[in-house]
Amino acid sequence: MSGYAPVTPEIAARLEAICGKNYVIYRDEERLEPYSRDEIPGHHYRRMPEVVVRPQTTAEVSEIMKLANAERIPVTPRGAGSGLSGGAVPVFGGIVVATDRMNQILELDKQNMMIVVEPGVIANDINEYLHPHELFYAGYPMSMETCYIGGNVAENAGGGKAIKYGVTSRYVLGLEVVLPSGEVMELGGKLLKDVTGYNLLPLMTGSEGTLGIFTKVILKVIPLPKYQYDLLALFSDSRTAIEAVPATMVESGITPTSVEYMDQESFRSACEYLNETLPYQDAGAMLLVSVDGNDPEKMADDCEALGTFLEKHGASVVYVADTPANSERIWKIRRNVAEAFSLYFPRQSGEDIVVPPASIALVVEQFQELAEKYGVTIPCYGHAGDGNLHSRVSAPDSWSDERWEETLPKILNDLYALVAQQGGRISGEHGIGCKRLSYMSTVVSETYLNVLRSIKRALDPNNIMNPGKIFTV
Amino acid sequence: MRLAVLIKQVPDTRSVQMDETTGTVVRKSSDAILNPLDAYALRAALLVKDAAPGSTVTALSMGPASAEKALREVLALGADDAVLVCDRACAGSDTWATAVVLSAALQKHGPFDLVVTGERATDGDTGQVGPEVAARLNLSLATFVDEVSVNEEGLEVERKVETGLERWRLRLPALISVTKAIGEIGLPTLAGKMAARRREIPITTAADLGLDPATIGLKGSPTRVVKIFYPTLARKGRQYRVVDEASLADSVEAMAKYMAEVSAV
Repeated sequence: MSGYAPVTPEIAARLEAICGKNYVIYRDEERLEPYSRDEIPGHHYRRMPEVVVRPQTTAEVSEIMKLANAERIPVTPRGAGSGLSGGAVPVFGGIVVATDRMNQILELDKQNMMIVVEPGVIANDINEYLHPHELFYAGYPMSMETCYIGGNVAENAGGGKAIKYGVTSRYVLGLEVVLPSGEVMELGGKLLKDVTGYNLLPLMTGSEGTLGIFTKVILKVIPLPKYQYDLLALFSDSRTAIEAVPATMVESGITPTSVEYMDQESFRSACEYLNETLPYQDAGAMLLVSVDGNDPEKMADDCEALGTFLEKHGASVVYVADTPANSERIWKIRRNVAEAFSLYFPRQSGEDIVVPPASIALVVEQFQELAEKYGVTIPCYGHAGDGNLHSRVSAPDSWSDERWEETLPKILNDLYALVAQQGGRISGEHGIGCKRLSYMSTVVSETYLNVLRSIKRALDPNNIMNPGKIFTV
Repeated sequence: MRLAVLIKQVPDTRSVQMDETTGTVVRKSSDAILNPLDAYALRAALLVKDAAPGSTVTALSMGPASAEKALREVLALGADDAVLVCDRACAGSDTWATAVVLSAALQKHGPFDLVVTGERATDGDTGQVGPEVAARLNLSLATFVDEVSVNEEGLEVERKVETGLERWRLRLPALISVTKAIGEIGLPTLAGKMAARRREIPITTAADLGLDPATIGLKGSPTRVVKIFYPTLARKGRQYRVVDEASLADSVEAMAKYMAEVSAV
């Protein structure tokens, strides 16, 4: 049905001629397998690539695309493979272009407060590099220690600091893109304003690898806030905790950098996974609230105000972390929820819904009703402050695989409908990928989908660029 | 029981830099933290306090004025009192001179039944100050303690040594240095933090302690740092390329021979 050409030994040889023999993996199941998946738990979304190429230069990427376009072979760009929507999964086989060798920080332009990087640079490495210069890249997501900046841009990743600093797209000022045709296009630049023609930067940012491969990224950097203090508030039940979130945002008078929510299942899994010894057993939900700044006294004031505010809104105990070690201890819990879940719940679907921030308490409540209706659990955690929740639909152990696969789509349809009722969307930061593709038409209009299709056809008439993602062409 | 915990403020190891010409740590006060290993000392003291109701825990530190930050942290975590010995005359103290100062401070603010220290400080990395204090004050001493308990007969501690597990009974007054095995301390609560922020931390000077300036600080320190340097890491690797069975056998033989040569097996 795909109509794509296979990767023959001749094609593989031509790819070797482009990138060098050592950087092409072909007919080697064992070495190809890691490129068949991302971080979605389970095997359901795995697809084997026919060949993996690891180019080092823009010219090489361009040659690969020209070849693939001429031969009608699908190409799936890949960063660190830490995505959660199947974006890097080669749905139709073909060529996976791994960007791990394009991993240089090319330039720190301090005069312009910008940094130029290649797509295979690990997001956290950018900040380690910037740290001695007292600068900071704020768009990184929670998987910062493994994810690549190229993937972040492709997914328009969001992070724990999005309430105050926004998501990846706010920091992308320029891109070098290799188009499906193999042509190289520069977008934006070291500019803070630019209305020269259509604004294609935000189109490319979040295009999930379906419109081109990024080979260079210009990012805006900001002065590094000297300190970050965190509050970990324990609540007796999830409702009290989640209701405190919009209140904190609106009434506390302080703009936190993060307001993260974890329900009981979420923090218990993470704490158990980490052997955390905090007395969390009696808590029903947790909020993690952070502030940053340069004046420790002012921040201590903010912490006291926020902490007292949270106590007034039902927190039974509030812990304060004002040292890097204690901060790390708290954030580790939050960062490890996903990994702990993958370990404890083999059958699960990680969701990434986003609603207007004020609606968050309502959807959490509705999800629990939904869970009861279907006899599953839907633990919720995530960036509650910006209305973005990671809810994990998880099947009981007693369920058969068949029952799970049959029921999950029904649950998701209901869940997405609840989200849509609140004016929300089915993904806030993970992307649609192949995981949510079949649900797109239920939550967006046909007109919108048709515009997306027109754009796709204009840039990729042969539909070779990461096909099988976001929407059906 | 009256308990004392010796506290040190150290540079955050994540941002520490060494000055190779002077042989000292480049200190930026903004990056100074509570010596992470001292948190275990506080935890051990709080465990003893829980087991012996009515006990008090006093945190004691020698350092610059900024060290009160570390003391406020232990106050927030449950210490009852804090004392800071702060005096220019103490600057440059090595472990011995530090022990002189801390011993005098323990005597002035004591007497204490039990003094608890961390295993060592993450900056100097010597682990000497605790035992030196014990020697000066004639306290029973147990280092590298993993477990501590109190009963009518005194203090019982457990320590792992090369030859096995030792269980000691200590006569009080005593000093113990504890390891990470004591367990993680909790996080400070908002209430603890707010109270600690508003506490007055008394400053004790060398004169208050009746110390002769010649016995403390740089003058009173017998240790001299002659030279510091970054050790060079030289990793040697050999690659054996296997193309067929014969070369596999050859490679294995060559590897075995090489490993025997370098005493790896």
